[in-house]
Amino acid sequence: MAGLELLSDQGYRVDGRRAGELRKIQARMGVFAQADGSAYIEQGNTKALAVVYGPHEIRGSRSRALPDRALVNCQYSSATFSTAERKRRPHGDRKSCELGLQLRQTFEAAILTQLHPRSQIDIYVQVLQADGGTYAACVNAATLAVLDAGIPMRDFVCACSAGFVDGTALTDLSHVEEASGSPQLALALLPASGQIALLEMDARLHEDHLEQVLEAAAQAARGVHTLLDRVVRQHVREASILLGD
Amino acid sequence: MLEKTERVITVNAVYRCPLRVVREHYLRPCVPCNSALCSQPEYCCNVGKLLPAEVTHYMVPDSSVFDYFEILEMPELKGVIWLQTVTDALHSKRGWRYCNKLRSLLKDPSHECVLFANEYHVSCYHCEGSPVLCSRIIYAAALWYYKHCGEKIPIIIVADEDSTKRYKVKSKGVYVMTFKEYLNKFYSDLEAAHNSCDFIDEALYEEKLESLEASGINYNKYLPPDILEAGLKSGLKVLGKMGQGQLDGRHVVGITQKHKRDYIVTFPSKEDILYYSRKTKKYLAVPWDYRIPRIRISRKQAEKYQFCRAIIHIDSWDTDSRYPDGHVVGTLGTGGDLEGEMKSLLMEHDISERPFSEAQMGELPVNTAEKPWSVDHEEQDRKDLRKTHLVFTIDPKGCEDVDDALSVRTLSSGNLELGVHIADVTYFVKPKSHLDKEARARATTYYLPDRRYDMLPSVLSSNLCSLLRGVDRYAMSVIWELDMTTYEIKKVWYGRSIIHSTYQLSYEAAQELLDGNLSITGNIEEFQDMEEKEKEDRLQELTWAIEKLADIASHFRAQRGLDGALDLDGIEISVLLDEEKNILDLVPRQQRRIHRMVAECMILANHWVARKIYESFPRQALLRRHPPPRQNLFSELKQSAKAGGFHIDTSSNRALALSLDNAYDVSDPMVNKLLRNMATLAMSNALYFSTGSCREREFHHYGLGLDKYTHFTSPIRRYADIIVHRLLIAAIAEDKTKTELNLLSDRCLEELCDHINERHRAAKLCQRQATELFQCHFFRDKDADRDERCVADGIIYAFRDTAVQLYIPRYGIKGTANLKTKDGCVLHFGANGEKIGWVPGALWRSHKQADCVTSSGQGVTFRIFEHVTVKISVQAQQYHPNSLRLEILSKKPYLDPEARHTPKSSPSPTRELVEENSKENIPEEYRQFQQTKGESLYTLLEEMKNLAIQDISNNL
Repeated sequence: MAGLELLSDQGYRVDGRRAGELRKIQARMGVFAQADGSAYIEQGNTKALAVVYGPHEIRGSRSRALPDRALVNCQYSSATFSTAERKRRPHGDRKSCELGLQLRQTFEAAILTQLHPRSQIDIYVQVLQADGGTYAACVNAATLAVLDAGIPMRDFVCACSAGFVDGTALTDLSHVEEASGSPQLALALLPASGQIALLEMDARLHEDHLEQVLEAAAQAARGVHTLLDRVVRQHVREASILLGD
Repeated sequence: MLEKTERVITVNAVYRCPLRVVREHYLRPCVPCNSALCSQPEYCCNVGKLLPAEVTHYMVPDSSVFDYFEILEMPELKGVIWLQTVTDALHSKRGWRYCNKLRSLLKDPSHECVLFANEYHVSCYHCEGSPVLCSRIIYAAALWYYKHCGEKIPIIIVADEDSTKRYKVKSKGVYVMTFKEYLNKFYSDLEAAHNSCDFIDEALYEEKLESLEASGINYNKYLPPDILEAGLKSGLKVLGKMGQGQLDGRHVVGITQKHKRDYIVTFPSKEDILYYSRKTKKYLAVPWDYRIPRIRISRKQAEKYQFCRAIIHIDSWDTDSRYPDGHVVGTLGTGGDLEGEMKSLLMEHDISERPFSEAQMGELPVNTAEKPWSVDHEEQDRKDLRKTHLVFTIDPKGCEDVDDALSVRTLSSGNLELGVHIADVTYFVKPKSHLDKEARARATTYYLPDRRYDMLPSVLSSNLCSLLRGVDRYAMSVIWELDMTTYEIKKVWYGRSIIHSTYQLSYEAAQELLDGNLSITGNIEEFQDMEEKEKEDRLQELTWAIEKLADIASHFRAQRGLDGALDLDGIEISVLLDEEKNILDLVPRQQRRIHRMVAECMILANHWVARKIYESFPRQALLRRHPPPRQNLFSELKQSAKAGGFHIDTSSNRALALSLDNAYDVSDPMVNKLLRNMATLAMSNALYFSTGSCREREFHHYGLGLDKYTHFTSPIRRYADIIVHRLLIAAIAEDKTKTELNLLSDRCLEELCDHINERHRAAKLCQRQATELFQCHFFRDKDADRDERCVADGIIYAFRDTAVQLYIPRYGIKGTANLKTKDGCVLHFGANGEKIGWVPGALWRSHKQADCVTSSGQGVTFRIFEHVTVKISVQAQQYHPNSLRLEILSKKPYLDPEARHTPKSSPSPTRELVEENSKENIPEEYRQFQQTKGESLYTLLEEMKNLAIQDISNNL
């Protein structure tokens, strides 16, 4: 096939990774003082900020309040400068609505919402630079922010994408790999129990290969978990030193 | 997991207009170096092909030497390291087609070259990324490689003249030179490379100097690729394959993919040199294959290779030139001798004669004198047939690759059990191994009269896989249980087994046993030192088995006959050679009952295996089909048969088989043989195919009259059989998931089938041409006028405009003999039927006969199926392969002592009937239509006209 070769005969991807390797992940918690919880994550060149407010009283129409659990409200937005082409991205467009909904479903599965009935939890995510795996970066950032806010969760929610090229599953796709049009799958996992919080794929993939791709994505999500766990521990250690002083 | 993520990120900026995209680029501390000299093998984790340790240097091509790619493709160049920087540049400059070429080069185990992914290595990567500074990256990588290999082996960077200046050599161990210097220094004896290099240099130089000139264009240019693609997408243009099919009123507007090959040419001698143009001073060389146009060669090369057979690579074909341009890449000697001719033949058919490589031989099991290979008794899932079955093989004398064995026995229930056991090659040749790839590329073993090119190394083909006598061997078996009287198949079992062949019989010996001639046992090795009593028992047992087999085989043959199977045999000639490879004699191969018996057992096995694999894998089984022939190809057969008084019905295979059986002339059995041969020639080729790519009703095998057929019984010499073996193993395996991984998808299989079909066709063609070559050599040394071996009996089987088609049964030769020359002379015979000479005259012909009438009024008539005496001589050709020339010496049959003693084939029961019918038919026809038997008035006038034109003044 003409064009870029996504996986070379020697097993290298375009950016020099092997099929099962993640991009470099760097993250920080507690980046904003005003918010209850906040986090910043870099997955390769994809950069995302997440901010959490709550749990607090229902804002706006009271009728939205749920009697038995908290309402999770998620909003996604991306910066004008986040992609190679500069473009205004207004709130409420189709794509950000969809991503917001997906985030909401993911976190309703993870947060112990029944502990806070009649209240609301707001999660705002902004993507600063999009280079593939936006959904995964948003989920990972939001997890850290929720943890930072001290809202009880069942487990970390770790997300990762995976694709399928030439019979091999590639994990943590970059923008180039996403743009090639090969099938792509996004997975959000609760690593301790191995439960799936969200699984999304809208391309065609033969069912024989699904398991392979799913396994690769889950493996990658577990890898993300170890990294996030380390970030959280580091953050707690720093915070306790500060408090101790 | 953790380790991998903590790698340094550097940002690789790629400039594209007008966007600026930032991409990540990950570097790692260890990238496989793929060298046998690696100083840290545990760190590098090299797998697959390695660079050899025993070369004097490693070569790193620079991105400026793509023009010499053709030379870099030569397997003689060893120890080539392709850097990723270079391959990326190749991709961006030359496109993916070149990249694919390189990729297949890297995969080919016989090419000692590897790819080193330097861009992903921490210490070889420079952040610059600009193509101008490419040389620094290459130099850094070469330097790293030199140090990595323990500073043991020098690295040479090869670049063109401009690029060499860019390199700044800082350290010893890494050198830079131009391509020409490199070749002179290390491969001074590799002539082909030097020639190509010279030519490319010349072309590059010319390209630099010449600006494009408009000149008188004769040919239409091919459409550029983008327009072609658009045309194909819109459906205005059709994609087709040249070489086999007809164009049917279409014409070629462009080429999407070329099958590049080299051609054999001969340079004319100085006297009859053919200038092409005085301006360019190019000479014309004549290709060996007469269908290829002459090729223009530069003067320098043409003078160097005078009188030589040379291999030529075609470079281009200008639209304003009548001939293509080419250059010499190698020579094959002066031509004319047998060895040179054979080499040309192999080259023409792209048959590789190179030995197996180290990597391939490394995969073979150990089998030395100290440590002989033996079967593994622990092998669980094999049926052990060593004690229970009497297994024997029947093959031609001196055969080494025995791949089929037979067994038959009576079961306790009284039923018969027939077994066909085939060498288990897939046990040794694992899918995707180097050996497998090589076998796939060769696709078949090539049998030539004096040599053989094996598909598998001889350790396998003539030893470990070969079902030799007296040793345990692995086999794939198909075992049927047959009803004792009706031979109806009750049960069939497929599976892997261990067998122990007791007798290795030759066809001749087995035939003698079948005929009840037991005295032959003296010649059978197995019986030689055996007690008389035991010998008798054993002999009885063996004879019973062979007789039973023959009986079963004839039953199945009869059954196939009802379904329309044809008895076709092409004329095959065996060349008898003495130890020094001198040709002793040419003998047509004989089909005896025992041959048919073995063949029938194999057909049965093939058929049942085809049924099994199709049932298990309806979308991806490899089968063999034989499409029905085109009716218009039968016209000659019908005409000849009609002229001989027979009727041939070609409406279906069954009708054809019946009418061929009926077309039997009691006085001359050759007539039937000839008709059968003509029917064989009309047949289309049988083809391998994948069941997913064809409709089920097209699976039919026309010649054998079977609905499904495949090739299963010769895995040692055919690659298709190996695939079928794998399919069968997958079909009978209990744990399907494991074995099915080895199977090919429908598309891959179809591609493979195309390849195998192409190779089989090449093998067949090559074998035929080689036989023709040996025929010519046999007759070349003989004095055609004196040697009585050059005179033989011939049968006329068809008429051409000025010639007759003859068949010579003694040597199995078919050819044409002239009756009338170009200047209007016809053959003239004396009263006793002897030829006197050529005299002016006229020739008149019909399908039934040809009349030569001389101007003085004497005539002679040749009738169809008439026997004549023929002289065989060799017509020497300077540029093309030699051919045989036939000449009619006498109208009387030549009484060849051997021809009189031809073994009578078994009489057909319907023959007497036919005889009567044919006697009746002819006169009746004439009576009914009141036709005169001779010529009509029209033909008589035609004859007169012919005579009138002829200038006979000299004769008067």
